[in-house]
Amino acid sequence: MNINATLISQALIFAVFVYICYKYIWPPILSTMEERENKMAAGLEAAKQADDSLEEAKLTYEKELKEAKKEAASIVEKANNRSSQILNDAKAKAEVEAEKIIESGSKKLENETNKTREELKKQLSSIVVETASKIIDEEIDEKKHENIIKKAAEEI
Amino acid sequence: MAKELTSKSYIDHHLTNLTCGKTESVGWTCDHNYYDEMGFMAFHVDSITISILLGFAFVALFKLIKLNPADQKPTRMQNFVEMCVEFVNENIKSIFGSTDNKLIGPLALTVLIWVFFMNLMDLIPVDFLPELTKQVSYASGIVDDPNDAYFKFVPTTDPNITLGMALGVFILTIFYSIKIKGFGGFIAELTLHPFGKFAIPFNFALEIMQLLAKPLSLGLRLFGNLYAGEMIFILIALLMFFQSAVFGVLGLGLHLLWALFHILVVSLQAFIFMVLTILYLSMAHETGDH
Repeated sequence: MNINATLISQALIFAVFVYICYKYIWPPILSTMEERENKMAAGLEAAKQADDSLEEAKLTYEKELKEAKKEAASIVEKANNRSSQILNDAKAKAEVEAEKIIESGSKKLENETNKTREELKKQLSSIVVETASKIIDEEIDEKKHENIIKKAAEEI
Repeated sequence: MAKELTSKSYIDHHLTNLTCGKTESVGWTCDHNYYDEMGFMAFHVDSITISILLGFAFVALFKLIKLNPADQKPTRMQNFVEMCVEFVNENIKSIFGSTDNKLIGPLALTVLIWVFFMNLMDLIPVDFLPELTKQVSYASGIVDDPNDAYFKFVPTTDPNITLGMALGVFILTIFYSIKIKGFGGFIAELTLHPFGKFAIPFNFALEIMQLLAKPLSLGLRLFGNLYAGEMIFILIALLMFFQSAVFGVLGLGLHLLWALFHILVVSLQAFIFMVLTILYLSMAHETGDH
């Protein structure tokens, strides 16, 4: 195991192989690896973005759903209010109408009664006059005894 | 004329590299008998060949797989390769923090996989490949005696290999030290502490030792671990000299146990070599006071 020129040769061979590796082996492998790494990073990033946008879409969807529900509820409530209002209005109107009808009916009735009463008074007075004239057999001057007749009529 | 097989010759054979070098008497030769004449101008052909082959195995494994584009499912091999790259990158990140140094990644990956492959050779049964080369080179007439055909199959049990890689790392650390801190900064780091400018020689002696100890320990750690592991395999294999079925079975069992344990050493040492490489480079990038 002497040290001899083998050492120098080996150093040179070493240099040659390192150069071959440096020039032809290392770069393609490393560039492939780096490229793949970049691609994977990009893929992961895209996946993350997709995830984020999905999350966002979900949030929007939920928010919109909530809003729609709220709106639907408010519409239903409004409709309910409206219908009850209409109902109340109708009720009130009907009541007023009924009252009016009743009132006018009672007024008519009263008028009719009064009229009938007047007529009856008139007829009575004439009957009274006729009867009285028959009784006293003498024509009573209506004009003369108007007061008496009137009194009589009023007493009836 | 075959030499007698003794335990010493067996071990020696396993620990000897196939060496080619320049000699005074016969010029260039691969004959081991001239080994001592070669001096520094010698090459461990086996270590170099195997390490180059494994280097290409690494390149093939990582280059020839089909890389599906990013929008398609990655293939299985692609997953494996990317896992390795990811692992290396994570280690760099934890040691370096963030860096725009484009070399450190490929460097660490090469070190990890290549050293792992070289260490892995240790798990091939200890006699399998040497015996094969013996027979092949004897049959093809390269050697007259099969025992003269040496071949070590684990490059990282050769200190030349591990120290060679450590030398590469060392040169890179110095390069980056000077690049980041400037030449003056590098020299200042070597001379101006721990004791300030009044003890420059002393500082320099300390710091240069520290500087040189790094690559040395880096290379020798890997070498030592793998050499020791290989040595244990060889020693267990020596049980065959008893020529007994009981010891044969014992040897098989021990080999299996040691191989299982050695899987840990093999991967751990590759990992440690990589981590230290990254660490030394990150220290070269550090600026400011210590």
